[in-house]
Amino acid sequence: MKKVLVIDDNPTIVELIKYAVNLQSSFEVMVAYDGEEGLKSVYAENPDCVIIDVKMPRMDGYKLVRCLRGDTRTANIPLIILSAMTREEDQMTGLLSGVDEYLTKPFKPGALNAAIERVLLLTPADRQRRMDYLLQTHAERE
Amino acid sequence: MVYELQRLRRLHILLVDDDPEALQRIQHAVGIDSYLYHARTFLQARQHLAESIPDIVICELKLGKESGLEFCRFIRNTPALHHLPIMFLTTFTTLQDKIAGFNAGADDYVIKPYDARHLMARIRLLTRMKDIEQGDE
Repeated sequence: MKKVLVIDDNPTIVELIKYAVNLQSSFEVMVAYDGEEGLKSVYAENPDCVIIDVKMPRMDGYKLVRCLRGDTRTANIPLIILSAMTREEDQMTGLLSGVDEYLTKPFKPGALNAAIERVLLLTPADRQRRMDYLLQTHAERE
Repeated sequence: MVYELQRLRRLHILLVDDDPEALQRIQHAVGIDSYLYHARTFLQARQHLAESIPDIVICELKLGKESGLEFCRFIRNTPALHHLPIMFLTTFTTLQDKIAGFNAGADDYVIKPYDARHLMARIRLLTRMKDIEQGDE
């Protein structure tokens, strides 16, 4: 059974995510309630996918994503941000940090499960292509 | 793809590391894509920053007895510098090191050895991200 780690400081949201993911009944769901605890859980549990909130105590979601992408041991774990921050700039920051999908709250269980299925299929080459694309479209040009 | 990347603005990068091999590797990684400035100590790096502000600072976590965390906090507490993107590029791999790095104000934490192309992309995306953040303020 694949392991999904949920990192969110709001217990109510965590329960909603667990409910949504459990609808699939093919994932084991683990939980951490802040960024640092989440980081430790990633190394301890080696999850197949991580769902990350942005605004959390003790390391926000963007930093957590960059931290994981900066270590070859965790660089290719599928990462989804699920955040109440809905502005385009917020989503861009998430994508530039290296997240695979950026979903906003409130969310539909079907959309979350579809995102999980999508990111589980991504390869390191897919991530490199994404990074190249982001460079093309968003990095500064002369 | 190479052709496209050459159109990107050349970044000014300050590397703070006393390891000649680290300097050589990053020179290779940035190629002609950026201007690379090098400091062997955090004191040298501070002197450099007093004269010129780069697009990004890349530094080791510890150089001899000098602390990169302290250097990071110095940048964050200096009004003229506090927006500077800071990346730790380091051999220190423990969770405690990473957490301490981010708590000190780092924006990114990359562990050596690294893939050169991947690193350059992260540098570019980080500088772009900081621009977006500054636009928010």
